[in-house]
Amino acid sequence: MNIIVCIKQVPNVKEVKWDPDTGNLIRTGLPSIINVNDKNALEAALVLKEKHGGKVTVISMGPPQVEESLREALGMGVDEAVQLSDKAFAGADCWATSHTLALAVKKLSGADLVLLGVEAMDGNTAQVGPELAEALGLPILSYALSIDVDGKAVKVTQKLGDVVRVLEADLPAVITVEKEANEPRVAPMDCVLEACEKDVPVWKAETIGADEENCGLKGSPTRLRKIFSPKVTRGQVELFSGSLDEVAEKFVAKLKELYYL
Amino acid sequence: MDFKLSAANKMIQKTAKEFCEREIPKIDAAMAEAHDYPSDLMQTFAKARMLGMTIPKEYGGLGSSNLNCVLMCEEFGKTGSTSFLPLIMNISVAETIHHYGNEEQKKKFLPPLCDGTAWATTAFTEPATGSDPTMLQTTAEPDGDFFVLNGAKRFISMANKPGYGIFYCKDLSCTDPRKNCTAFIVDKTSPGMTFSGHYEFMGLDNADTCDVFLKDVRVPKENILGVQGKGFNILLRWIAGERIQQAASMVGGGQACLDESMKYAKERQVGGQPMAYMQGFYWMFAEMKMKIEACRMLVYKTVALQDEGERFEVDSAGLKVFVTPMMQDVARMALQTHGSYGYSKEYKVEKLFRMAMHAGVVASSTEINKTIVGMALLMS
Repeated sequence: MNIIVCIKQVPNVKEVKWDPDTGNLIRTGLPSIINVNDKNALEAALVLKEKHGGKVTVISMGPPQVEESLREALGMGVDEAVQLSDKAFAGADCWATSHTLALAVKKLSGADLVLLGVEAMDGNTAQVGPELAEALGLPILSYALSIDVDGKAVKVTQKLGDVVRVLEADLPAVITVEKEANEPRVAPMDCVLEACEKDVPVWKAETIGADEENCGLKGSPTRLRKIFSPKVTRGQVELFSGSLDEVAEKFVAKLKELYYL
Repeated sequence: MDFKLSAANKMIQKTAKEFCEREIPKIDAAMAEAHDYPSDLMQTFAKARMLGMTIPKEYGGLGSSNLNCVLMCEEFGKTGSTSFLPLIMNISVAETIHHYGNEEQKKKFLPPLCDGTAWATTAFTEPATGSDPTMLQTTAEPDGDFFVLNGAKRFISMANKPGYGIFYCKDLSCTDPRKNCTAFIVDKTSPGMTFSGHYEFMGLDNADTCDVFLKDVRVPKENILGVQGKGFNILLRWIAGERIQQAASMVGGGQACLDESMKYAKERQVGGQPMAYMQGFYWMFAEMKMKIEACRMLVYKTVALQDEGERFEVDSAGLKVFVTPMMQDVARMALQTHGSYGYSKEYKVEKLFRMAMHAGVVASSTEINKTIVGMALLMS
C-alpha cells in the first residue's frame, strides 16, 4: 500500500507571544513544529504500513526550513520525503495549497491513500484536505478517528461534533485525521540519526509542472483584509439569588437571552 | 572553533525532549507506586533506541557520538527524575566493555546491554572504601577455569536487576598488592549473590541502590575485563565518562530551575505587577543563566575530547568540580524565588534542590575530583 502524507510546518502555538500594543503575533524566534493533526496523520500512515506493508511518503510545502519537519517525519519511520519549496508557492491560500499538493501527489504517481491532519493549528480552516481530494478527483473521508483498509476499500470512523459515524469508500481516497485518532510515536534515536543522512529532494513549480498563476499568492482567490486579536472587555457581573433550582432556571434563561443557548 | 550543534544533534535533543515530556511522567508515576524502577524500563529505553548510543551497530548500538548521549542526559536532567540513571549506567558500562573487552566479550555482552534485556551495574565501593583500590576486601580467588568471588559491595545501583555488572575485586592471583584490582563481568543472577533492601537517598526518589553480598560466586576466567590487576584504570576511565553524563544532567537540572523560576516569577504578582520584573529577580535570573551557560559549554568541550579519542579523565574531574556548585547555587536560587512553595513537594524545584545535593557526591566527590586535577597539574 502506498500512502502519501501531507504535513505543514507551523509555529508552536504553545510558545506564541503577542505584542500587547499591536495585537500582532511575535514571530521572531518562534520555534516551528509539525502541525499537531498532521503528526496524527503520520502515525496513522505508519500503523497502516506496519499492518499492510508498502511505503509512506511525506510531502510538505513551505520555505526551506520545512526540511527540518520532513526529517522529523523520516525519523518517525516514513520512507521518503519531498520538499515543495519555491518562491512561486509563497502566500498560498487553501485552494492554491491544495492545487500544488495535488500536482505533487500526481508527480509521485498517486497513492492508495493520501492522509492529512484535519486542520492546521495556525489557520484552522480544515479546507486543504477536502480541496485536495477535489483536485485529485478522489473521495474525501474527513475527521477520521480510525482507519481500516480491507482489500480495495477503506472504512473510517468519522467524528462530527457529538456524532460519530462510519464511512466507507473505494481506494484511492483522501482522509483527514483527528487529533484523538492516535498518539504519535516518539521517533527512535536510530531512525532520527538515519533521517539526518537521507536525501530530501526539493521540488519547484517547474518540477511538478505547476503554472505559477495557480500557485502561491497569485493563485489564491482568498484575500486577507486584516488580522486582529479580539479586545477583552470587562463584562458586568450579575448575581442570581433563590433556591438552587431557581438559580439554575434564571441562569439558563440568561444564557438563552444572550443567545449562548 | 564551532559552538553550534549540528542538525543531527538538534534532532537528538528535540527527540529526547519529546520522549521526556511523554514518557517520564508515566515512568515516575510507576516508580512512585512500586518504589522501584518499572521492570520494563529498559525496554522503554530500548524501544526509543536510546541504549548503546556510542556502541557500533554490529554489536547492536547506534554508532553515534558521546555528544549525542550527553544531549540526551541534559534533557533527562531537566525532568528531575531518577528514571534515567539505569540508562546512563547501561550506556557507560557498554562503552567500557567495548573499550576494554575482547571480541568474544563484545559479542556476548554488548547486544543485551543495547537491546534492554540486561540491566548494567558497576560495583567498586565497599563498606571500607569508596575510592582506594588498595583497600578492596572483596576477593577473587582462581579455581580452575573460574574465579571465586567473596565479599560485599556498597551503594550499588541496579544490583538486583537481571543483567551484567562490572565488579572490581582484590585478585588473589596477583602478587603486587598495588596492582591487584581486577575487573570481572559478572552475571547478576549468578548463584551466591544476595542483596540488601534499597537505600533511601535524599534526592534519588525511588531509585534502586543496595548492598550486594557475594558468597562463592563463580565467574568464568574469560569474564576478566581488560588486563588482570589493572581494573582500577578501567574504573577511572568509566567514572570519567559518567562524570560528563552526570554534569550534563546537572546542566539540564539547572536549566529546569531557571525555567521554573521564570515561569513562577512571571505569574506571581507583587505590587500590581509580575514579580519577575523587579530588579532583584533580573539579577538572580541573569546569574543563573550565566552559570548554566558556562557549565554547558564546559560539558560540550569535555565531551568533545572524549569523542576525539583524547584523554578526558582529568578534564572530566575538573568539569564536575565546576558544575556541582552551579547546580547547587541555581537550585537554591530557584527555591528562594518560589518562597515557601519552593520548599513544598508539590513544586518541581523542591525535587531539583534535593537532587542538586547529590551532585557533590556522585561520580567521585568534589574533593576527590579536585585531588585528581591537582595531582595532574603537579605531575605534568
